[in-house]
Amino acid sequence: MTPADEVECKLLSDLVQERFGLSFAGVRRDILLARVRPRLAALRLPALLDYYHFLRCHPDRDAEFDRLACQLTNNETYFFREPHHFEIIAKHVVAALGDTLRTRPLRVLSAGCSSGEEPYSLAIALHDTALELRGISWEIDACDLNRDRIARAREGVYEGGALRACTEEALRRYFEQQNGRYRLRDRYRKSVRFFEANLAAPGGMIGFPPYDVILCRNLLIYFDDAGFDRTVRLFARALGPGGWLLLGHSESLIDRSDDFVPTWLEGAMIYRKRLAEAAA
Amino acid sequence: MSFRMSASSAAAADRLARLTTATGPEREALILAAFEDETASVREQAIRLATRYVEPQTLGGLVADGVNAARRNGALAALERQGPYAVPYLVDLLRSPDAELVMFALQILARIGDPKATAGILPLLGHTDPNVAQSAVEALGRLRSADAVPALLELLRGNLWLQLAAVTALGEVGDAAAVEPLLGLVPDSFVAEQAVRSLQRIAAPESLEPLLELLIRVHERPLRDAVLEAVGVVLDLHPDPGAAGERFARDAEQDRGPQGIAAFLGELLRTVEAEAECRREVLGIGGGGEREALAQAAVAVILTGRLRSLYPLVLRRAGDPDAEWIETQWRRHARLGRDEAAGLLGHRDPQVRRGILTAGAFDGDDLPGLLARLGDGNTAVRAAACRALGRLGDGRAAAALVGRIQEGAPEERAAAAAALGRLPIESLEGLCACLDPRAGEETVVAALEAVRVAAASAFEADVLALARAPSPGTRLAALRAAAALPGTRTELALFRALGDRDERVQMEVLELLVERGGDRTGATLIALLSAADSLRFRVIRALGRIRAAEAVPKLEALYADAPLHERVEIIRALAAIAPPGVTDLLRPRLRAPEPDIRHVAAFGLAQVAGPEDIPTLVAMAADDDWAMRNEAARGLGRLGLPESRPTLLTLVRDVEPVVARTARGALDGLADGPGTAAA
Repeated sequence: MTPADEVECKLLSDLVQERFGLSFAGVRRDILLARVRPRLAALRLPALLDYYHFLRCHPDRDAEFDRLACQLTNNETYFFREPHHFEIIAKHVVAALGDTLRTRPLRVLSAGCSSGEEPYSLAIALHDTALELRGISWEIDACDLNRDRIARAREGVYEGGALRACTEEALRRYFEQQNGRYRLRDRYRKSVRFFEANLAAPGGMIGFPPYDVILCRNLLIYFDDAGFDRTVRLFARALGPGGWLLLGHSESLIDRSDDFVPTWLEGAMIYRKRLAEAAA
Repeated sequence: MSFRMSASSAAAADRLARLTTATGPEREALILAAFEDETASVREQAIRLATRYVEPQTLGGLVADGVNAARRNGALAALERQGPYAVPYLVDLLRSPDAELVMFALQILARIGDPKATAGILPLLGHTDPNVAQSAVEALGRLRSADAVPALLELLRGNLWLQLAAVTALGEVGDAAAVEPLLGLVPDSFVAEQAVRSLQRIAAPESLEPLLELLIRVHERPLRDAVLEAVGVVLDLHPDPGAAGERFARDAEQDRGPQGIAAFLGELLRTVEAEAECRREVLGIGGGGEREALAQAAVAVILTGRLRSLYPLVLRRAGDPDAEWIETQWRRHARLGRDEAAGLLGHRDPQVRRGILTAGAFDGDDLPGLLARLGDGNTAVRAAACRALGRLGDGRAAAALVGRIQEGAPEERAAAAAALGRLPIESLEGLCACLDPRAGEETVVAALEAVRVAAASAFEADVLALARAPSPGTRLAALRAAAALPGTRTELALFRALGDRDERVQMEVLELLVERGGDRTGATLIALLSAADSLRFRVIRALGRIRAAEAVPKLEALYADAPLHERVEIIRALAAIAPPGVTDLLRPRLRAPEPDIRHVAAFGLAQVAGPEDIPTLVAMAADDDWAMRNEAARGLGRLGLPESRPTLLTLVRDVEPVVARTARGALDGLADGPGTAAA
């Protein structure tokens, strides 16, 4: 990379960090470049600097920022990824909440849900646990920065890599074939409420709190320190006392937050929000 | 409900803010204390600030402090980032009686990489402390000091650690005088593998034959891999490896069996091919991974040594976009008889057939064999045959290629179009039928691509007609072809297409016009400036790219009322056109309220500044905005005048590493003069 390329890259990565709180410094720079390249081609802009100026000054910059957000957070996910998290919710969380769930539903937020594979996998896991037979209902909210992916999630039609962990049996039970693709059956699709949200936006609240559980896996790794802290504080506000936060296996809150207590369950590190009196 | 910020992150944020805003004497104390901060981001900021604001002598004191490792590490990092600014101090430090301090100084000097440090380091090769001597050897290697070669060769007979360091350093220096002594260490010494790595780095032609001999003689796998990789690099850079290859071919013929050279190379290629396949399937990325360099070396050896039984294995990956190096190697090293080529063209494995078509060099006598492959049952083979016919450039292939444009799969159409473009223009009359809209859009678009590549003016009338086709895909293909054809009518078609109803067509035509150039392009684009539409900012940029001096008055007039994105482009265009007095236009923009205008003005000034602009650039070097400081460094570096040195020595310690690197590059290119010593 020439010094001039380095400057252009830093201008753009600083802008992305400022706008989305996503960090593409150091070795992640190549990821940024690879993800931005299709936008340059689409806009027929010859160089990164042209794109930077477009984002900074062009009248259509807000729409372009939306498209860029789609590119930057376009992380591949699939059904039943890291399924032990769903087991933790279906078994341990439900058991810990006990009688509380006789008077209100279990409330879960899937933050950074991409095109819906994660919240739908959870919906399937909760259905399969037959909680209804025990008089327990649930609500799953799911949000993502990317409008198009939210639309795809609502549509609930999948193919290829999204289904890589599905057995033949799972495909038959949970999906119906539609023009060579797989449409999630209605009873699962209707279990999830999707909405658009930028977790890195300053202040505010997310979704419809309080939640019992927040799933946010493999997203915090993209945030810079400030964005990371801001997002974790946002989760702390959105969770009820003693609520559970489930992160990706490479993400950790150790030494990063006083609001949560780490704990081991089913071989995974998860985080519980401190109870109000303990935190006071 | 009350919310609580994490105490630890809030406190770290406070410390970071105090550190960044501190001034005066308090700042240095805060910076040095922050070397020990528990939070990584605070420590990193402290190092950045120390690079800029703490003198090398003070940092050196912390390096000498053997008790506080955190402060020492922070100081070492800051000294390294100070680069040339710290070199005089570090060279002085080499005379310290404290061996540990000398070692640290050597390590930093090695990382800074300033060759001026060599003279101070050479005497330390004989230092009584072997750790210091070893660090000196390593530093001289990193500095690629040719003056150190005789002394380093002496060390090959010294103690083992110094020997290993000297072997490595000789490779880094790259002097061919080291070839014979290094070969003497292979295969029977503790440093054999490292010696081979160093021979690879030196890549001297005279090492080829001995290394090829070793490749047969050595069977121990890690060392054999190292020798193979070294042979690959030496072969790659060798001006004429033919004679060495022939001797190797004779030796290889005798070297049979499971440990033999053919078995070794064959197994290696099969493994790398399987790995590449696996990476493509699982990770979605091509290439053979870490062992791709070994595979490249193996192919070079196979072809140079005429190991014919392995040719099909080599060719299986030719045509893979991640293994284009195979084609290069094949054309450089492979020498096939006609029967051998025919055998490979008819090989039972379609990947081999595709491979020889992709990599092989053919002549007119091969035409029937190549044409026959257009009837192959495999699409990829047929497309490869199209490409091979294109390389051959024989007009007798035209009719068959036109047939592929009309009937082939998409991959074949594209390959046939590109191939037809390389054939003699007089052989292309068969394209006429393909340019009839009734032939279908895919055929028409492919034929237009052939016309574009061939720049075949004979089809101008068809191209102009298709430039008005209802389909934007056909219009675009026709306009691309028009851009390749000379003359007024095609130019007018392009101008007219600037008003196309499809914005994508407009944008591409603008690019085509810029690439095509032409006397009237500037005037046409200037005329478009009157329309305040979504295309105008691109038109302004295009005027800058073609350096249309006649556009300057219009651009200047447009500036005052233009929206921000157009003003940015106007400044960039003016800087690119660089009319007389352009710096007078740019300088006031450096104080514009909009940072984007300031940035592009600074960028432009860095490109066009003359010596009279040095005071402006020096002032920019003190700007709060790193992008402005970076342009100051770039501009001063471009001018290359010695009076810029003090400013660059400050910028080389900038808190923003990008700026420091730009300043470092600028400083390296500076003529010696006043202010050479660290300011």
